[in-house]
Amino acid sequence: MKQLLDIDVLKVSNLSFSWKNNPVPVLSDIEFSVRDGELVAILGINGAGKSTLLKCMNRILKPENAEIQIDSMNINDISLLELSKLVSYVPQSVMTNFSMDVFDVVMLGRRPHISWRISNEDRDKVSKTLQLFDLEDFAFRRFDQLSGGERQRVIVAKAVVQSPSLFLFDEPTSDLDLKNQLEVMKRIRDLVDNKERRAALVAVHDINLAARFADRIILLHNGRIKAFNNPKSVLTEQNNRRSFRCKMHDSQCY
Amino acid sequence: MESISEKHVLKGKNQILFIIILTISTLALSLFSMGFGSSSQLDMFSTMKIIFDFEQYSCLIVPFSGEFPCNGDYQSRIVWELRFPRILMGVTAGVALATAGALMQGCLGNPLVSPLTLGVASGAALGAALAIVLNFSFFPISELAIVANAFLFSLIVVAIIIQLGNMRSITAESYILVGIAITFITGAIVSTMQYFATDAQLSQLAHWSFGSLSRPDLSNALWITLAIIWLMPRSIRWSWDLNTLSLSGDEFAISTGVDPVTTRRNILIISALMTSIVIAFTGLIGFVGLAAPHMSRLLIGNDYRKLIPCSAVFGALLVVFADTVGRTLFAPIVIPVGIMLSVIGGPFFMYLLLNNRGRAH
Repeated sequence: MKQLLDIDVLKVSNLSFSWKNNPVPVLSDIEFSVRDGELVAILGINGAGKSTLLKCMNRILKPENAEIQIDSMNINDISLLELSKLVSYVPQSVMTNFSMDVFDVVMLGRRPHISWRISNEDRDKVSKTLQLFDLEDFAFRRFDQLSGGERQRVIVAKAVVQSPSLFLFDEPTSDLDLKNQLEVMKRIRDLVDNKERRAALVAVHDINLAARFADRIILLHNGRIKAFNNPKSVLTEQNNRRSFRCKMHDSQCY
Repeated sequence: MESISEKHVLKGKNQILFIIILTISTLALSLFSMGFGSSSQLDMFSTMKIIFDFEQYSCLIVPFSGEFPCNGDYQSRIVWELRFPRILMGVTAGVALATAGALMQGCLGNPLVSPLTLGVASGAALGAALAIVLNFSFFPISELAIVANAFLFSLIVVAIIIQLGNMRSITAESYILVGIAITFITGAIVSTMQYFATDAQLSQLAHWSFGSLSRPDLSNALWITLAIIWLMPRSIRWSWDLNTLSLSGDEFAISTGVDPVTTRRNILIISALMTSIVIAFTGLIGFVGLAAPHMSRLLIGNDYRKLIPCSAVFGALLVVFADTVGRTLFAPIVIPVGIMLSVIGGPFFMYLLLNNRGRAH
């Protein structure tokens, strides 16, 4: 594991969010930062605001007055194209309207970096990433004919090719069996342990996965951060009872 | 074994080769089709001889006298005044409608969309009906009154689309639903007018809606073609954004650096303009805008950098082919191209779709 450097990749302060025509806030007074080389998990029950929080990080949602900095740049001060070079978001599942070959889907990750022509360098980056994710055999298969787990891998590969500083993962393990859950989390771990300047923010609802792979955990409850620290200090009996409404030894928690 | 990168390069080259072959076939078919007609049959070489006879261009110097071809005989007059404008209009209509269809399907993320979906054509139909039935036209005296009115009313729909696009919360679905609403509203007004129209007006209106390539003369056809040539690069430049938008909707687009709302608005304006320019002159030609992009997708995939040129050429090929068959099958009766396109294109489209489904499994 690379040594955690004291550089903030992501810095969030003063973040509150509510939907139009609905005064009840989904997120309120969120403040945290993610350091280089860190994997931060966002834990919380359904509706706690995990996805909303992630989507505020790359302007899919636009909270008012929030101060969000990635690589010391305010995300509202740069164009969407520039932003997509800093952060890439992996949604829970990708529904396709018009399908493409897996190679071309992953190539979309290079889109922020190319104007029109695909260079050999871009192609090699895509090929290498496909190999890294065991997707070589799928390179020229249609994306919509893959299984859920394989698609997930393709979209993660696309995000990697985008070479951002910050990865956002929205429930990357929700559609997967146990073996694949561990594999995906291991890959995310490898991504941030890489020498390059990288960090990941991962929304999960599986406490075990969070405890095993995350450096720090954000515990979200009713749109507020209840705890933000290393897994050991966050996953206390009291926190669990409050935020998950179950006891530690309860099988539901494990 | 070759690497994945090399395979990808090869695939791209094959796609470009396919587009080139398709383009050559379309040009050949156009020349061939120019030889067909009720007055005389020419082979391809005689047609080429007429077109590349440079002496007839000698009077095209400024100031232009309005005479063209300059010193052509009977045969070259037939080619230049009747067949060439028709074929040129066919090629341009095919290119414009197929491109508009590909753009709209991509940026709205919906395979059911065609250039007629947004209501541009319904606007044109309303304009035409007003001109025919009520003699109401913004361009009162000229043989182009119907066309000009159709164009103007389709531009009103384009203006509505632009207004929609300026709303930040507009989604792909809202565009489609507004388009359908416009179609219903204009349809109701046109039906009301039909109810009170005379037999002659009814038949004229029906004729307009069949879709035909015979209306524009040489200068009309050239102007339309120039307009479409001007718009084509403006549509192709959105290719990468369309690749991103068409794969999986707005959130995916944003995380890849594409602003879906602005991009969608700009693309829709271009495609609506393309549609209205063509539809005003030809009447309702719908099928090519739906089918040509899908056929091209089945043949070369969904990379818009290649899909737009491929759809454009495929659209031209389909329209010229359908028109040629329509002119010759029951000659001297000419079956309108809109009808022929659906009759020939429909089964071909179904064949390609079903054949491809079968291979996938």
